[in-house]
Amino acid sequence: MLETINLTKKYEDGHLAVDHLSFKVEPGEIFCMFGANGAGKTTTINLFLNFIPPTEGTALIEGIDVTKEPLRSKDFVSFVSENVMLYGSFSAYQNLDYFTKLAGKRGLTKVDYARALKSVGLQEDAFNTRSRNYSKGMRQKLGLAIAVIKGAPNILLDEPTSGLDPKSGQEFLNLLIKMRDEGKSVFMSTHDIFRAKLIADRVGFMKKGKLVMLKTRADLEGEDLTELYIQYMEERGA
Amino acid sequence: MLKDIIKKEILETITSPKFVFTFLLCAVLILLSVYTGITTYRSEQKEYNAAVALNKKNLESQSSYQALAGLGPKIDKPPHVLSTIASGVSEAVGRVASINIAYDPNLVDSKYESNPVFSVFGALDLTFIVKIVLSLFAILFTYDAIVGEKERGTLKLTLSNRVPRDRLIMGKVIGGYISLLIPLIIPLILSMLILLVYPNVSLTGQDWGRLMLMFLMFFLYLSVFFTLGLLVSARTNKSSTSFLVLLFIWVVFVTIIPKVSILAASQLNPIPSVHEITAKKDAFLQQVQGGAQKKVLDWAKENAPNASKDAKKYQEDFKKFLEDYQNDLTSKIEENNAALERDYPARKTSQERLAINISRISPASALMFSTMSLARTGLDDHEQFLASLRAYKPSFTRWINSRMMKSINFATGEQGKVNLADMPLHKFEPESLSKSLARTLPDFGVMLVLIIIFFAGAYASFLKYDVR
Repeated sequence: MLETINLTKKYEDGHLAVDHLSFKVEPGEIFCMFGANGAGKTTTINLFLNFIPPTEGTALIEGIDVTKEPLRSKDFVSFVSENVMLYGSFSAYQNLDYFTKLAGKRGLTKVDYARALKSVGLQEDAFNTRSRNYSKGMRQKLGLAIAVIKGAPNILLDEPTSGLDPKSGQEFLNLLIKMRDEGKSVFMSTHDIFRAKLIADRVGFMKKGKLVMLKTRADLEGEDLTELYIQYMEERGA
Repeated sequence: MLKDIIKKEILETITSPKFVFTFLLCAVLILLSVYTGITTYRSEQKEYNAAVALNKKNLESQSSYQALAGLGPKIDKPPHVLSTIASGVSEAVGRVASINIAYDPNLVDSKYESNPVFSVFGALDLTFIVKIVLSLFAILFTYDAIVGEKERGTLKLTLSNRVPRDRLIMGKVIGGYISLLIPLIIPLILSMLILLVYPNVSLTGQDWGRLMLMFLMFFLYLSVFFTLGLLVSARTNKSSTSFLVLLFIWVVFVTIIPKVSILAASQLNPIPSVHEITAKKDAFLQQVQGGAQKKVLDWAKENAPNASKDAKKYQEDFKKFLEDYQNDLTSKIEENNAALERDYPARKTSQERLAINISRISPASALMFSTMSLARTGLDDHEQFLASLRAYKPSFTRWINSRMMKSINFATGEQGKVNLADMPLHKFEPESLSKSLARTLPDFGVMLVLIIIFFAGAYASFLKYDVR
């Protein structure tokens, strides 16, 4: 489970990036967070990963306060970023092997890696190819394979579908659904309203660091999410 | 985990095109420099042996001691085997000195004198390659070590795992350093093998000790740029900025500080020029020589009545007078020269020391001075050799004066045959390894201090580094 309680981040220049943010992502749930650029979505993820310290409040991963036990909390979370380049001179196997070992998993074989890579839909002939030759979709799949093989119960995704072609985007969503069905808590920051609507169990709207709207899948029935998004951004002064 | 990070760093580097390029270039340059160094040393050794034999023959063939005094023995500076690694100032300073009654010995006929174009480009020795090429490679290997990972997003991905930052930076330091040393160590081992098997090139135990200390200095020098690269990489947000900052610091360290330090020392501690001193010496010599003729004529005039009374005694007295007078003149010339130079060497040395100490802020200067001292091709070795020539000159002068007077038969004008059996020989005892090491300790200290500062800076910066 992922949770924030009054999470606040104010930078030294006075900019309030996250303002008393409180929400939960339950196991088996996909939570999509919308917001304009600079609304605080990525900062929230950075606070979960303890890349920056909060000014106030708490971020919890499986009930572990990430500022008090940053290393332990990372055992329970996987991260997929928007445009990870990975190590270009490494193949998919080598990248996977390195990050798997960093995640503390030992004794995995090439067969396990191949299984993880197949599960995210990466073509088999790309397994031994240097990742610098991958398309963005292939890199995102490899990034997801790294998250899959870690097997953490929580996934943080920072705009993972931006720039993906429709087919790759759909495959990516299917993987997230599969993870959700396995009982993982998935938090995804995104601008991709169309794709998010297909998979989100709940959506949140962030504006100037605040969570200004929270809706469940049931709430969204019959609603035009795009219109809602625009309406919220305009009403509250984007 | 540390092992995994180190392994990844090495693997990532050695599979990159820049490593292949670096390795090939290093191998070619290092092997080429050592090979050309050895062949140059061998030809210098042959030239030296030939020159020593020729000088001996020339001295033996002189018809009289007077002719021998005019010619004087020529002392050649022997080449040193470690000039193959660090040529130092050996090509800029002279290789041979004439020991002459009138003038102070000085080394002339340098390689640069015989071919000035060498001075434009300098020698392509191993020290030059490490100083210029490998330090640039150290920058190339590290400028994006941290900031590059941030740009690729791999730093965030790495730190989203249970990876302590201190372990990550240590892994990067160890792995990165090993990757940098591979292109250096393999050609260095091959170079040592060449030194071992090359005919007529033999290194003593002390030479091997000196060589190992020089290699240690190379590693320390590269560590300075390696840790500096990490520091700058951990203090910047763009790899292009990191590279430009490092390039700027490299230019300052390698080219600007050494040159500016010489200018600064000459401004802070000015000394008279060599030409000024030489002109004063020449003027005194002319004055003394002019007076000498008069003095001899006066003596002859004064003692003329004795010549007819007892010719033999007159001849003996004349010989005695000439010998005493010659010794007196020599002493006067030497006293005058000494008075003129009394402060000069001390002031010159003080200016040189000041320039050296200012330039030691730069690791490139510390590298040059330490390797020159260890290879015995530096300024110190040159000064010591000159000092040995100056110490030899009075003993030769005394010997030739005494032989000249004793060999002349004033009645017949005949001169005795030259016998070199008891001619004093020049001796030069090179500095011991322990003394050279003591001399280079400040340079080792400079390197270690810079490494500690840069590493501590990189370490502390990375612990606080904004990975976003």
